[in-house]
Amino acid sequence: MFNKVLVANRGEIAVRIIRACRELGINTVAVFSEADRNALHVRYADEAYLIGPAPSRESYLRADKIFEVAKKSGADAIHPGYGFLAEREDFAAECAHRGITFIGPKPSSIAAMGDKGKARATVIKAGIPVVTGTEDVGNMTNEDLLRIAPTIGFPLLIKATAGGGGKGMREVKTIEEMPMLLDSARREAESAFGDGNVYLEKLVEGARHIEFQILADSFGNVIHLGERECSIQRRHQKLLEESPSIFLDEDLRAKMGEVAVKSAQAVDYVSAGTIEFLVDKDKNFYFLEMNTRLQVEHPITEMVTGVDIVAEQLRIARGRQLSYKQEDIKQRGHAIECRVNAEDPFNGFMPSTGQITHSILPTGPGVRIDTGVYPGFEITPYYDPMIAKLIVWGETRGQAILRMRRALEEYRIVGVRTNIPFHQTLMDSHRFMGGQFDTRFVEERFSMDDAVEARAASAEIAAIFAALVAHQQTERNANIVRRNERDTSNWKWVGRWERMHR
Amino acid sequence: MKYITTIDDKEFEIEIVDEHHVRIGERLLQVDFESVNGQPVFSLILDGNSHEGFVYQGEEDWEVLLRGQQYQVKIEEERERRLRAAAGGGIAEGGEFHLKSPMPGLVVNVAVEEGQAIKKGQVMIILESMKMQNELKAPRDGTVGRIRVKAGETVEQKQTLLSVH
Repeated sequence: MFNKVLVANRGEIAVRIIRACRELGINTVAVFSEADRNALHVRYADEAYLIGPAPSRESYLRADKIFEVAKKSGADAIHPGYGFLAEREDFAAECAHRGITFIGPKPSSIAAMGDKGKARATVIKAGIPVVTGTEDVGNMTNEDLLRIAPTIGFPLLIKATAGGGGKGMREVKTIEEMPMLLDSARREAESAFGDGNVYLEKLVEGARHIEFQILADSFGNVIHLGERECSIQRRHQKLLEESPSIFLDEDLRAKMGEVAVKSAQAVDYVSAGTIEFLVDKDKNFYFLEMNTRLQVEHPITEMVTGVDIVAEQLRIARGRQLSYKQEDIKQRGHAIECRVNAEDPFNGFMPSTGQITHSILPTGPGVRIDTGVYPGFEITPYYDPMIAKLIVWGETRGQAILRMRRALEEYRIVGVRTNIPFHQTLMDSHRFMGGQFDTRFVEERFSMDDAVEARAASAEIAAIFAALVAHQQTERNANIVRRNERDTSNWKWVGRWERMHR
Repeated sequence: MKYITTIDDKEFEIEIVDEHHVRIGERLLQVDFESVNGQPVFSLILDGNSHEGFVYQGEEDWEVLLRGQQYQVKIEEERERRLRAAAGGGIAEGGEFHLKSPMPGLVVNVAVEEGQAIKKGQVMIILESMKMQNELKAPRDGTVGRIRVKAGETVEQKQTLLSVH
């Protein structure tokens, strides 16, 4: 059983893990790059060590440096968070080799789910539905793929086997454009993952992205914590998640949950993980992939189930049984998470860098914020542009939406542009309120026009604010000048005054 | 004192009548304006309606954050504006615009050529940064002048990428 956890990550997720450790009385070790000396995870941890320059490949991705710190600090467990080294089989294996507990699944499970082709083959064997596609694993040539494509049917997707985050993914409408798209997909996959291997999948139109949270211990107990609706995306990046999904009924939820559990069992899974599904208009669902780590959006599940997922991960890694059985898990109320990013929604979601000079967080009933930033924090181009996760809970979906609206209004971040206006517009959108959206919604049917109108309505107030402050400043400057003018003759004034009173 | 403020190309004429009154256009409004303890946070009660805003000086203009919305506000004293107009300057409509890199990154694609006529909103350069590809668009109609970067080049923040005239 371990007593000191090294958190091999940064930002809000490092803070989240440190908090869980604190609550359980476990000591924590932070690692940081030169850009993160003042970061919250450094300040909140019991120990902190510099591991290199700002670029992640020279710091947070340097497994060797992290193991050095583990040795120096005597950390006997590593939590990888998400991203960076979280889904690296070799890293998990090296932990085991060094006698350090990796707080996550076994290396073999990471490997089995990491290669998308292999993952498909594994779950197909377990009788789990997948989207029709190339069943063959291994390196298929362009000729093979072009031959198979018509049997799958168009439109289809080219996907990278090592993929994630939409990299190396291409939508193909006709066979004519396919050779060119194959080349560009392979190029992108090669540069992103060092592996240009791709496979084909039928494109499910009007699909929703719904995922299930899994918890599994080393005694073979596997449960699910219900679903998360993640269809609100832009360029395959999730922007908002909610739980439960308005699209599932009790029946479908139970069915999908069962399949999710089966998928995790198929790779002998341990720890927290997520099974992603595509659900089509007719409520057919297909296994998409498994994320063998803690997810960014895990808090919404925590809000509706009351389960502390990170604490459970620690418990499982310590070789204990799960604290819950499937029948203990109940979804109560509704939770929504907005990812607040340093992006300007009025300017093509352009990333915005700079220093956050002020940050006042929303609070009040049902509001939770997971963030790693603070006033003075610099948004740099080295890391992802997420500033915070704003999470709200409500008794109903309607209440959660109203609460989110209120919290977004209350959130004040000064210094960089944020996508808060995007979330505000989304909260006001009738389609969103009605639950009528799929993964293409933001890109194809959503517009910021309403936001532009709302903006115009308050512009006058903004103008008055600015004019008043500018005016104050002018006045102050004028006063300083006047006082100086009089200062030159002050001695004269004093002389006269004294003479007068003699 | 009278100020001309501009937000998103829209002008507002605001007269500070005295400490407790402003006139906007024809309307006279009662104002109670307080700065909250040295911070750039201001509380404004306008005819009984309460507003809270952050107001601070940006690089060129004023920035106002109001209910999650950020506004870039240009402020001119009416007198100054009149003087400038009299001097024949007016607002520089033409003039050269330099497209600067908003952040350090890698130029993925230069989508325009020197001498090419472009429309407002047209994508000129694709810049990769923060693991994302970003489209840098033309702020107005014009003609592409000198292009100073090529695809594949890394650029610093605020580096001039190309000019439009």
